[in-house]
Amino acid sequence: MTALYVVLPLALLIAGAAVAAFAWTVRSGQLDDVDTPPRRILIDD
Amino acid sequence: MTTSLAVVHQCIHCALPVPPGRSGDFCCAGCEIVHDAIDEYGLAKFYSLREDARPAKTTDRAYTELDDPTFQRLHVTTDEAGQAHAALYLEELRCTACLWLVESTPRCVAGVTDIRVDIGRSRADISWDPARTSLAAIARHLDRIGHASHPYRGLDRDAQRRREDRTLLVKLGVAGAAVGNLMLLAIALYAGWFEGMTAADTAFFRWASLAVALPALGYAATPMFKTALGALRARRLHLDLPLSIGILAGLVWGTVNVVRGSGEIYFDSLAMLVFLLLVARWIVLRHQRRAARAAELLLALTPSRARRVVGVAGGDRVEDVPVEAIGEGDRVEVRAGETIPVDGMISRGSSTIDSGLLTGESRPVDVGVGEQVHAGTVNLTAPLIIVATRIGAQTRVGALVTQIEALSTRKAPIERLVDRIAGRFVAVVTVAATLTFIAWSIFASPLVGAEHAMSLLIVTCPCALALATPLAVTVALGRAARRGILIKGADALERLATPGTMFVDKTGTLTQGTLAVTSWHGDIDARALAAAVEAGSAHPIARAIAAYTIPTDTARSIREELGHGIAGVVAGRRVVVGAPAWVRSRCKTRGDVEGWIADVTRAAETPVAVAVDGVIVAIAGLSDPLRPDARSALLQLRDLGWRVEVLSGDDPRVVTAIGEQLGLTANRCSGGVPPERKLAIVQNERKQRPVAMVGDGVNDAAAIAAATCGIAVSGAAEAAIEAADVYLREPSIGAIAATAAGATATLATIRRSLKLSLAYNLIAGSLAIAGVIHPLIAALLMPASSLTVLVSSLRSRAFGGRR
Repeated sequence: MTALYVVLPLALLIAGAAVAAFAWTVRSGQLDDVDTPPRRILIDD
Repeated sequence: MTTSLAVVHQCIHCALPVPPGRSGDFCCAGCEIVHDAIDEYGLAKFYSLREDARPAKTTDRAYTELDDPTFQRLHVTTDEAGQAHAALYLEELRCTACLWLVESTPRCVAGVTDIRVDIGRSRADISWDPARTSLAAIARHLDRIGHASHPYRGLDRDAQRRREDRTLLVKLGVAGAAVGNLMLLAIALYAGWFEGMTAADTAFFRWASLAVALPALGYAATPMFKTALGALRARRLHLDLPLSIGILAGLVWGTVNVVRGSGEIYFDSLAMLVFLLLVARWIVLRHQRRAARAAELLLALTPSRARRVVGVAGGDRVEDVPVEAIGEGDRVEVRAGETIPVDGMISRGSSTIDSGLLTGESRPVDVGVGEQVHAGTVNLTAPLIIVATRIGAQTRVGALVTQIEALSTRKAPIERLVDRIAGRFVAVVTVAATLTFIAWSIFASPLVGAEHAMSLLIVTCPCALALATPLAVTVALGRAARRGILIKGADALERLATPGTMFVDKTGTLTQGTLAVTSWHGDIDARALAAAVEAGSAHPIARAIAAYTIPTDTARSIREELGHGIAGVVAGRRVVVGAPAWVRSRCKTRGDVEGWIADVTRAAETPVAVAVDGVIVAIAGLSDPLRPDARSALLQLRDLGWRVEVLSGDDPRVVTAIGEQLGLTANRCSGGVPPERKLAIVQNERKQRPVAMVGDGVNDAAAIAAATCGIAVSGAAEAAIEAADVYLREPSIGAIAATAAGATATLATIRRSLKLSLAYNLIAGSLAIAGVIHPLIAALLMPASSLTVLVSSLRSRAFGGRR
């Protein structure tokens, strides 16, 4: 079980990183418009 | 004029039938222009991308105001590389094909470097090289491909909203991550509880849970805390109050228990609760944003340019400026055919004004010096000089926009009921918690008492109660809006769900609204001859007769006499079609003609005489036929408990005839009712039961406002729309029935959800008081109740059910 003492904080750190990444995507405006991009992807030029 | 009327053409652009008498392959000039533009730029792929075809709209404006220095200063930014950026509202922005067409602009207009469309906001962000092209040129191009442009005025508010949206979304993400991780930690703890775990490991997991829960929930739950504090300060009841108490109790007591190393923690349940509450908030916010955008688009349709009159030496000079540059007291010139940009008073000139946008009145009004005119109305005949009194958001159109926005956040009685429940909830739970503490302190110890009292506070946190109403209402309003039913706020929905008497003012909601030949007496062969003569005319009666049958020949030497009828030669035969009296005065009549006319008049139809070679051979009866869904819609309304009556200003005979066809008895169909009597009838009826009033005219506005629930239909006057709680884009009784049914279903959903959530709290509360609750039970019960409410709202059959 001692492995947990290393792995668990590590897992929480990774989760924290994921949250930070999400916050960055939101703050940089990537999620402001969720209606248009799914349509844009249908067009192949 | 082409003659191939026997073949029904489809417009190449919008697939609508090409009206008889119009040459070429298009139904209207708009479609032709747009199609040509699309062709010219090699964008024909548009037609393979689009999902639905609609007639094109194009305005042929010059958009010079977009290049005006004042406008540029307000709305255009230039970066270091010399690139200019601006945002425009685009009309008719709907589907993937529109998106592609607009985003192809850089290939069509040299100098445009980038154009990004946001379909939800009907907005295009444009970047261009000012040295090579201008914003006006870009707008002209967009107009030609069917998207009339308007300056995007709400940039500041948009930025503010965007900040709010982003903050909430980050909180939602934090709460979501907290739920996931706390649940994993909690599973380990529960497993340890069943299987055995060393004290050190248990403590480690508990500290880890605390490390995640405290910052994450403390941050994510701030919206709830803020509202609760606000409500406390204002001494109002709000559902966020018991929610905040629950969350805070959970966090504090959990922290205490982790530190002292014994007692239960509820972090996983709390995280789920906060997460679900934020989801509900996010859904509601998205709905409000959509309503606000719709309102702002209305404001964008008022002109963006004005002609300011400046007094200079030797007379007045007129300069073209953006409407933002106009100040109070400025003189503005409005030429014939232009939309008035500001509210103001006429200082010179007299003209005729079409105030359709504001009043719905299609008849133009004469105006002269000293009279008030409003932004958004159209000056029809002569130039006017107006002294501006109100500009932008202060104009009547602007006020309307503000009102629509305010209405979308208004609280429904059922929401206030929920707040009242919340108030009692706080009282009951506090008393119960105190009693639990005292009782357990006496029979066990104060520590056990505190333990059970705290768990009571946490597990009875009314999360499902908070979710029930906003979810059901938002889902219902969203679905209704997609069907062209705009419901202003949750309270309107609730009033529609209480059946009473429904007065239908407009016979047009029961009928198709266009004249059609509904009976034909006499010579059948005369139909084709009459149709040939009428084929080229735009008169409603002519359209009806032309549509009745397919003409086999072409008419020549046509003469139309306004208000009377039309004459022409078809295949060598002289044909006269028109009002019986007028036709009789120039043709011979036959014995049975009078009888036919009497028959037609008795059926409340309009008689039209057809004469061939100087003798009247047939009488056509024209009327406005019933909508195909009218009868079933009335039955549906009756099943919902509504008593439908027709209360119309139309000819009593017409009203009675329509009522007969629908199976409404004569005492429930009143025709020829003046507006004042309508109002009196509505007020009188309201003393006994709820009243819904369906109408569209300015004169109905009072009756609509007096009714429990006012319903305005498409084409209605602004005053009527303003007074109404519901606005139907499709003016049919079917849509009204669908609205009432949807409202009833939504209210049923809300009540079901409220019962479910209260039942859950009763169970969880009893367990907590008895001291037999365990975090695992809470962790199962709490999300279970919220998810039941969520699923029950989403699965509601209101307004067509699942997409």
